[in-house]
Amino acid sequence: MRRTYLGEFEEVVLLMVAILDGEGYGVTVSQALEEHTGRIVTFGTVHNTLIRLEEKGFVTSELGGGTTERGGRRKRLFRVTALGSKALQEIQQLRQELWGMIPPKIVQLSGQ
Amino acid sequence: MNPRPVEPPRWADRLLEAFLAPHLLEDVQGDLHEVFYKRVDEVGATKARREYGWAAVQYVSPFFFKAFRRGPSPGIHESVEYVQLPFFHPDMIRNYLTVARRNLVRNKSYTTLNVFGLALSMACSILIFMMVSYHLSFDRFHANADRIYRIVTGTGAANALSSAGVYVPMGRVFRDEYTFAEKTGRVATNYGTTISIPGTRSTNKFREAIAFAEPEFLEIMSFPFVQGRPAALAEPDRVVITEAIGQKLFGDQNPVGKTIRLDNRMDVTVTGVLQNIPANTDRREEIYVSFANLKPYNDWFHEENWTGISGNMQCFVLLKPTVPVAEAEKAFTAISQKYIKDATERKNVFRLQPIADIHFNLNYDGRMDKTNLWALSLIGLLLIVTACVNFVNLATAQALKRAKEIGIRKVLGSERAQLFWQFIAETGIIAVFAMLVAVGVAYLLMPLLNQLFQIDLSIMINYQLVGFLVALTILVTLLSGSYPGLILAGFQPILALKGKLSQKHVGGFSIRRVLVVGQLAISQILIIGTIVITSQMRFSQQSDLGFNKNSVVLLPMPVQEAAKMSTLKSQFMQLPGVENVSFCMQAPASQAVNMTSVRFDNRDKDEDFLIRTKDADEAYMPTFDLKLVAGRNILHSDTTREFVINETAVKALGIKSPQEALGKILITSKGRRRGPIVGVMKDFFNNSFRGAIDPICLRANLGEYGNCAVKINLQSRRETLTSLEKIWNTSFPEFIYSYQFVDDQVAQFYALDELILKLIQFFAIIAISISCLGLFGMISFMAAQKTKEIGIRKALGAGVESIVWLFSKEFIQLTGIAVLVATPIAWWAMHRWLQDFVYKIGIEWWMFALSGTVALSIVLLTVSYQSVKAALVNPVKSLRSE
Repeated sequence: MRRTYLGEFEEVVLLMVAILDGEGYGVTVSQALEEHTGRIVTFGTVHNTLIRLEEKGFVTSELGGGTTERGGRRKRLFRVTALGSKALQEIQQLRQELWGMIPPKIVQLSGQ
Repeated sequence: MNPRPVEPPRWADRLLEAFLAPHLLEDVQGDLHEVFYKRVDEVGATKARREYGWAAVQYVSPFFFKAFRRGPSPGIHESVEYVQLPFFHPDMIRNYLTVARRNLVRNKSYTTLNVFGLALSMACSILIFMMVSYHLSFDRFHANADRIYRIVTGTGAANALSSAGVYVPMGRVFRDEYTFAEKTGRVATNYGTTISIPGTRSTNKFREAIAFAEPEFLEIMSFPFVQGRPAALAEPDRVVITEAIGQKLFGDQNPVGKTIRLDNRMDVTVTGVLQNIPANTDRREEIYVSFANLKPYNDWFHEENWTGISGNMQCFVLLKPTVPVAEAEKAFTAISQKYIKDATERKNVFRLQPIADIHFNLNYDGRMDKTNLWALSLIGLLLIVTACVNFVNLATAQALKRAKEIGIRKVLGSERAQLFWQFIAETGIIAVFAMLVAVGVAYLLMPLLNQLFQIDLSIMINYQLVGFLVALTILVTLLSGSYPGLILAGFQPILALKGKLSQKHVGGFSIRRVLVVGQLAISQILIIGTIVITSQMRFSQQSDLGFNKNSVVLLPMPVQEAAKMSTLKSQFMQLPGVENVSFCMQAPASQAVNMTSVRFDNRDKDEDFLIRTKDADEAYMPTFDLKLVAGRNILHSDTTREFVINETAVKALGIKSPQEALGKILITSKGRRRGPIVGVMKDFFNNSFRGAIDPICLRANLGEYGNCAVKINLQSRRETLTSLEKIWNTSFPEFIYSYQFVDDQVAQFYALDELILKLIQFFAIIAISISCLGLFGMISFMAAQKTKEIGIRKALGAGVESIVWLFSKEFIQLTGIAVLVATPIAWWAMHRWLQDFVYKIGIEWWMFALSGTVALSIVLLTVSYQSVKAALVNPVKSLRSE
């Protein structure tokens, strides 16, 4: 059975959710995205991705408190699941291996 | 605190509520709001609102409808047993469409009636839209069209016309002495120049309008060059022609470098070729000659001429972007003060007319009245309303049939809004169908319309038209669907399921009565309009204009030499069918107008009005059957020695009676032409009926006789015309023969009115047809409803006529009310239209009576077919089931 695929953008969003550690919801995730990666994406995309991640089981969500500036609407806070962190680790590991196969001089890591 | 807190746009929130699955709504909207308020502080409310709207639109996608499963294991969140589907959910839409399709297929006749009616009115609207946008697009294609102006003259004299032209030097002075304009270009048009190619056979000649233009004129206007550039006209003896003219003269050869001869006396070399002139401009000249050739061609147009204005000498300017119009107009006053010596001429005021106004401003030879366009648009809207009324009537009548469906939907939890929108969606399907049919019909009608209008419209798919089609479809859908939709959505489920709903639950007939009255009233207004306009046209064409217009033919006189003219005249007079021949400048009624200053007797200054001049020989009065009321006709002379004036001129000069005017001296054209008044002629109509009769003087003036008026005997009309042509062609071999009857020329006054009349007739017929369709649908429905009632009545001994009366009674009432509603509106509209005319018919009661009768008979015809059919049914058949 193929393991659930994690798209590139999905991966980045998942990382943001991990970084935010339980404080991640639509607004903070897109801010973090902009801040850390310089990507500016529409809200629709972020929400869309978060829902997909949840469907794939990489994150869970629960409704948190509302604030006045949201008109009293509750936030949906996301957390990385065990499956999600496993997927991230696998990808990271795979990359390490691939990096190791590149002959020197082709791609010089900075600082060497 | 802020009285009005900043809020995100309402529509965007509505959109989210409609499209998002309910369990997603809260947090998504919350996120969006949070960011919105942050952005308000950062970039201001407007920008934040725009961003919010944009973000909200992103959610309109199937993805957000679903997402029921939140994660792999339900139960992490509130488990969802039944979630109400959002309204625009694809599954729901599919359901609406299925139901709609079934309904439409089930009631084929009803569907076709609706589609057909709507399509007819939509087709008319499409045509009207195209026509209106065609006219509004005139001269807007030029680059910088918003800065291009024409200098026009409003004369200061009392009864003067305004003119689209200016003094010859005006443009030059404005260019040399002022810096308001980026470019100033003069252009002088001569209509009817004979064009030939030197050294070729004399048959290869054409009659064309030519324009003498400065290079800057072609720089201001966006008439693209195929070869050459505007500077091609900087030198004398040059000409720039369009591709079409090049094709006509030289076939497929390159025209550049070739020579063209104008009026057999001036040769010019082609140095540039223009693309063909687009249809939506009134500058139709296709031959532009160097401006330097203007004076040699016609020495009236010399650079010192500050004493006369010709409408053919026009000047265009491209103002600098920062210059206000009023500022530039002040320059003209200063120029007048500086250069114009004459007191009367100094009264002229000059204005800048925006180029977009040229097509519409009738004071300056515009071609189209904007009021007509608005009237047409209104008629289009009325037609749409008429068709929508049909729809509403039929749909509400049909509503009862669907009671069961509605009841079930309500029991299963449909909301009113959902049912309403569902019905709107059904209407939308019909509207889209109708639109497709309408586009087809419009496409087929296009050639007819083009022929009518002498224009060249084609269905060009541009975003404007597409936008219009979409907007029209939406408008029709909402107009037609709203009321029946509300009725349907408002059914009480219990009653609906028990089948206990009756007519009274669908608003009875009251609303429908109002609608039918409105519909009939619209048709009434159009019928009355047709009657009034037709009467006025007939009045203006059949009234005695005070001169003979039916048997006089005008021939052009390209060369005016006394010897040649007398030869020609004697040759013409020898023909048996010719009764008289006169050389003259123009017919008694003509769109070409010549005016000059006038001074009477020994008064010390010119009168404050300008007198219209009719320059002609002594045969003018007998040829046109003009009557004298005092004195005698002028005697033969080549120059002005004496005058005949009309009765209006006598009054304008303040003379008590025609007799007193005789023998008094009249001085015209700034003292150049003077002589005694020897006769007073009876007034004749020298304008269309829109303008009052002007003061006129008749005077001899050889050299101004551009026309030869021949009075012929209509019995032998054909032979005479052939002989005239022969003689003319032998006298002027280098020129092109043409002729026009004076009554045709007079009819030209009313060309635009004729057009409007044709259109209104056409639309009246359409409106009536649509109303008939609707009435037919209604009566059919009523007949179906009342089958049992009729059966019982017949069984109890009612006759056919009483049954027919039962049906007709109602419609006769409605028609009567419609007449009452339509009469004041139509009266007002027609009164407005007639106000333009100085000589007009009165609006009389019989016109309204006639249109009422017409409408009533049409209504009864429509109704009788169905009602007779219903009345003839055997009651056994209709009552058997009970």
